[in-house]
Amino acid sequence: MPETMPLAGQTHFVAPSSETPLQATGMVDTSAPPEGQWKEAWKVLRRNWMFWVSAVLLLIILVVVCFPGLFTSVDPRASSLSRSLEGPQAGHPFGFDKQGYDVYSRVVYGARASVVVGLLTTVIVTVIGLFSGAVAGFFGRWVDAVIARIADIFFAIPLLLAAIVGLSALNNVWPNRGYWGGVLAVVFALAAFGWPQVTRIARGAVLEIKGLEFVDASRAIGASKWRNLFSHIIPNSLAPVIVTATVSLGVYIVAEATLSFLGIGLPPSIVSWGNDIAAAQSQVRSGDNLHVLFAPAGALAVTVLSFMLLGDAVRDALDPKARK
Amino acid sequence: MWRYIAKRLLQTVPVVLGSTLLIYAMVFLQPGDPIVALFGEKPISDAARAQLTAQYNLDQPFLIQWLLFLKGALVGDFGISYSGQPVSDLIGRALPITFQLAVMALIFEAILGVVAGFYAGLRRGRIFDSTMLVVSLVVIAVPIFVLGFMMQLIFGIQLQWVPPTVGSNTSFTNMILPALVLGLVSFAYVLRLTRTSVIENLTADHVRTARAHGVPDGMVNRRHVLRNSMIPVVTFLGADLGALMAGAVVTEGIFNINGIGNLAYQAILRGENPTVVSVVTVMVIIYVVTSLAVDLLYAALDPRIRYA
Amino acid sequence: MTAVATERPLLQIRDLHIAFTSGKKDVPAVRGVDLTVYPGQTVAIVGESGSGKSTTAHAIIDLLPGTGHITGGSIEFDGVDLTSLSARKKRAYRGDRIGLVPQDPMSNLNPLYRVGTQIKEVLEVNDVARGKAADRRVVELLEEAGLGDAESRARQYPHEYSGGMRQRALIAAGLAARPQLLIADEPTSALDVTVQKQILDHLDGLTDELGVAVLLITHDLGLAAERADHLVVMYKGQVVESGPALQILQDPQHPYSQRLINSAPSLRSRRLMARERAEVRAEAAETALEHAEEVIGHGEGPESAGSPSSADAASADEFGGQVSAPVIRTTDLTKVFKLPGKGLAKRDFTAVDAVSFELARGTTTAIVGESGSGKSTVARMVLGLLEPTSGTVEFDGVDITTIRSRAQQLAFRRRVQPVFQNPYASLDPMYSIYRSIEEPLRLHGVGTGKERERKIRDLLDKVSLPAAVMSRYPNELSGGQRQRVAIARALALDPEVVVLDEAVSALDVLVQAQILKLLNDLQAELGLSYLFITHDLAVVRQIADQVLVMQQGRVVEQAGSLEVFDSPREEYTKRLLAAIPGRSVELAS
Repeated sequence: MPETMPLAGQTHFVAPSSETPLQATGMVDTSAPPEGQWKEAWKVLRRNWMFWVSAVLLLIILVVVCFPGLFTSVDPRASSLSRSLEGPQAGHPFGFDKQGYDVYSRVVYGARASVVVGLLTTVIVTVIGLFSGAVAGFFGRWVDAVIARIADIFFAIPLLLAAIVGLSALNNVWPNRGYWGGVLAVVFALAAFGWPQVTRIARGAVLEIKGLEFVDASRAIGASKWRNLFSHIIPNSLAPVIVTATVSLGVYIVAEATLSFLGIGLPPSIVSWGNDIAAAQSQVRSGDNLHVLFAPAGALAVTVLSFMLLGDAVRDALDPKARK
Repeated sequence: MWRYIAKRLLQTVPVVLGSTLLIYAMVFLQPGDPIVALFGEKPISDAARAQLTAQYNLDQPFLIQWLLFLKGALVGDFGISYSGQPVSDLIGRALPITFQLAVMALIFEAILGVVAGFYAGLRRGRIFDSTMLVVSLVVIAVPIFVLGFMMQLIFGIQLQWVPPTVGSNTSFTNMILPALVLGLVSFAYVLRLTRTSVIENLTADHVRTARAHGVPDGMVNRRHVLRNSMIPVVTFLGADLGALMAGAVVTEGIFNINGIGNLAYQAILRGENPTVVSVVTVMVIIYVVTSLAVDLLYAALDPRIRYA
Repeated sequence: MTAVATERPLLQIRDLHIAFTSGKKDVPAVRGVDLTVYPGQTVAIVGESGSGKSTTAHAIIDLLPGTGHITGGSIEFDGVDLTSLSARKKRAYRGDRIGLVPQDPMSNLNPLYRVGTQIKEVLEVNDVARGKAADRRVVELLEEAGLGDAESRARQYPHEYSGGMRQRALIAAGLAARPQLLIADEPTSALDVTVQKQILDHLDGLTDELGVAVLLITHDLGLAAERADHLVVMYKGQVVESGPALQILQDPQHPYSQRLINSAPSLRSRRLMARERAEVRAEAAETALEHAEEVIGHGEGPESAGSPSSADAASADEFGGQVSAPVIRTTDLTKVFKLPGKGLAKRDFTAVDAVSFELARGTTTAIVGESGSGKSTVARMVLGLLEPTSGTVEFDGVDITTIRSRAQQLAFRRRVQPVFQNPYASLDPMYSIYRSIEEPLRLHGVGTGKERERKIRDLLDKVSLPAAVMSRYPNELSGGQRQRVAIARALALDPEVVVLDEAVSALDVLVQAQILKLLNDLQAELGLSYLFITHDLAVVRQIADQVLVMQQGRVVEQAGSLEVFDSPREEYTKRLLAAIPGRSVELAS
């Protein structure tokens, strides 16, 4: 490289050190309190309006589910046929249906069955799916192949058809099962065919985590496979599973309503949104009496929407790509 | 490639066996006399009983019943329904109708979902994007039968643009509304999937590099962003065909369409067990075939995927 | 490469400010950068990650990522201020006036289109050629970029190319429309050194021939010094020093430039380290010997302290601390992976082929090789994380593949620990630093809670981290800090051997230098033996006593560190050495 006279704009320039102070490499910022991944996600969540809207709605719904008596003193099964299909009026904000039931009261009491089906199904599906998916992804080889085939068997039968067949089978073996029996039957039917979806997601997440170096580091200190799986791999694979769980909660609530609409979900004796929507159909054929349909359908939609919004908000908070 | 197809087909064997066994068990492995279950407590002649028993192999152990069913199914013989018609005839009549409905729904959700998702993704955070997100959430949150019912009420009964129910006339125009209803939920998923995929691809390195090479924005969006975003969407759509056919139960119920969903549903309600297992078996086969097709489609769309 | 003094600058950046919007605030990323490039000249911006060098480059072509925007200053190209133009007019400059060769060849080609199609696109949108003529031009361009059999290469997809070939294709695309300025953003940082050299040589030749000015963005001072006429050193968004390349390298004025030059492994003079290494080795050998005696004295592990090692240790004592008993010895270590082949048959892939070496107590053996050389596979087998296909790994005379009982296995684990490459993946993000370091102690049932806490404080102190980081999580620490934590964890069980698998490769030069120094100090203090896996020969010189050069699973050369650097015997080693950027640049002492 020949030495030449520097060109204009390319003379040797040195910034005054006072204006460009050097920082020690490797400083630790101790001003803020320590934050793990979850705490950081919470910080992101906290700033998201979707999270707050859905959280407040879900809190209200949860209270309704636990203490419906707080919101209405009308018995949802008290029929006054004389007021059949009457519109909204004082004391009965959503009016009456054909049987003369108070629609508002039924919406309040119907929350329990819908939400419990959604929650319980999601919990069962998540536990089975997380465990089977984690084991499949972690151990690989034949374990993976076997779990994949079993999951495929349940996945290959369309959820709705499978649940219908399952429930009609349950009707024969387990007739007259009462309120909780009725709810549980729907939960079992949905959970039995819903878990493979979670298995796939958990398996994918575990495969990703399994290859990371901290897993090898843990093996190198002598941690056993199971210890590694439970203390490192599963906790780190939880994020996508939680997101799926939140969203599918809404999907299961809709599925329950659909089954009840088809007349095979919850028995008619159980007050539920699905049953009421199904019953409302025949009452509004010509476009009148829409309140009978809109009240339970609206309640269901708001509930499902809240879970979906929560799922979206949680996804945004947990997605490392969105955070960086 | 052929090796892969062979391997995949081999893998589907236990799946088909397992699924049919599962459904067979749920339908047939019930306490009590299946003939009583069928005819209720009505008295039934010994001759009729013997004939029914022989016809459905009810004297055989359960596993043999299942194997005999499979043997028949292998050559398209699903047996005779309780009402006396060959089940394969029933399915043969219902399947094309549902197929037509599902394909129409698929086209509708694909076009609208991709277009809306693409523009929402490009204009992330703007009005159109937010509106589409809300619309998709509402569509998923409101049960399909409520939406279907409302659309039937508005377009069929109030406005009378289309007949409220389809019945036996399954012409294209009659099927438009049911297809829209059937495709609605998937439309929401396609929209969201396309949007996410577009947003992800917009920040891809190769997209930035294409811009740096002077490729105009519109062309970058079409050729690089949209094309690359289509891979997960197309695979979703492929897998959705089977799901739509299974999900048609509700739509067919609302619009009174004599498709496969309705057939299965009626059969379940009436306890027509041979029909139930047959329809579900057909559904399982459709699922297995479509998921293989999706895998191959995936390889066709993405040159990186080569099945050896 | 030398421009005529009377020429007008091709690119003149004045007082450029760039900020990213976070929440409602503007966070400045580039603060007052001045930069001038003359036609045909090569100017390099040098800086660590986060210095704003790439941001500056992206601002020129109006492709700032995310919320980035220019908040002040001007970018004059060929006399026109680009910042004042409309987006459409700015776009007109891309491709045919200013070209780009991006950083990562793996992600910068669209995987769904043939390589030829992508280059043709550049020709067509810049109105260079169309249709058949464009097809012909694509082949010429690929040939020009040094790709053999260009005609069939043009029809291939990116995944059918190697990393080096992709980068050649990207160079072809960047130069396709014959720009006056080429921005080369870390064009070779993802490639092996020998490939890097070929590609840079080729790029140099091409740009010279075409008279294209190059703005080279790099973190590698050696590379910049070798390739550029003019250097711009950036630090935290500001230019701290700029001027003729040689002048800055030989006589850096700003403290940051000085620090950078002192830390750059490729530029650092050998003599400096050689003396230090000798001292470190002597000290380490002494400590290691004491340690070994202690182990033998306590009879820890029935088989681990066999008679040969104690005899060696005793004889070593007579030679004044020159410990010769190898703590690790591999014999014909081989690993064969089964890959799917044609038909139903599986194809054998020999990742590691009969590798034999020894690691003497208290010393460092480095395994150097490019990607695919099998060096990391060796490390995993030595760590007992991967079963060898054949051959043995002896630890203190015991073949580790014969260890079966849990107790023996734990005993082995205690004595050999790893530190991995990726500082972002080597710590469990869900574990606090305290829990991460405590995990090995807890697992091995070492001490009570109180004792463990004392030990962790002590370990953090050893790796020069304040005790305050105990309650922190990995995502709150920098890459260098995480790597320190990983080292602390590896040391928690007082191991004798630490396997460092590319442990400093992902770090910025300054941090890298610090960690290397820390490793040297720890070796002296604790008598550790290191197995140091790296692709970077320049680093090897600073830390290793013995060097193994691996290529495609085989050891091609094995010798003392000085020997390898001063008189390499094998052609491949010579090629590796020649490829170290900045080797040709003479530094004033």
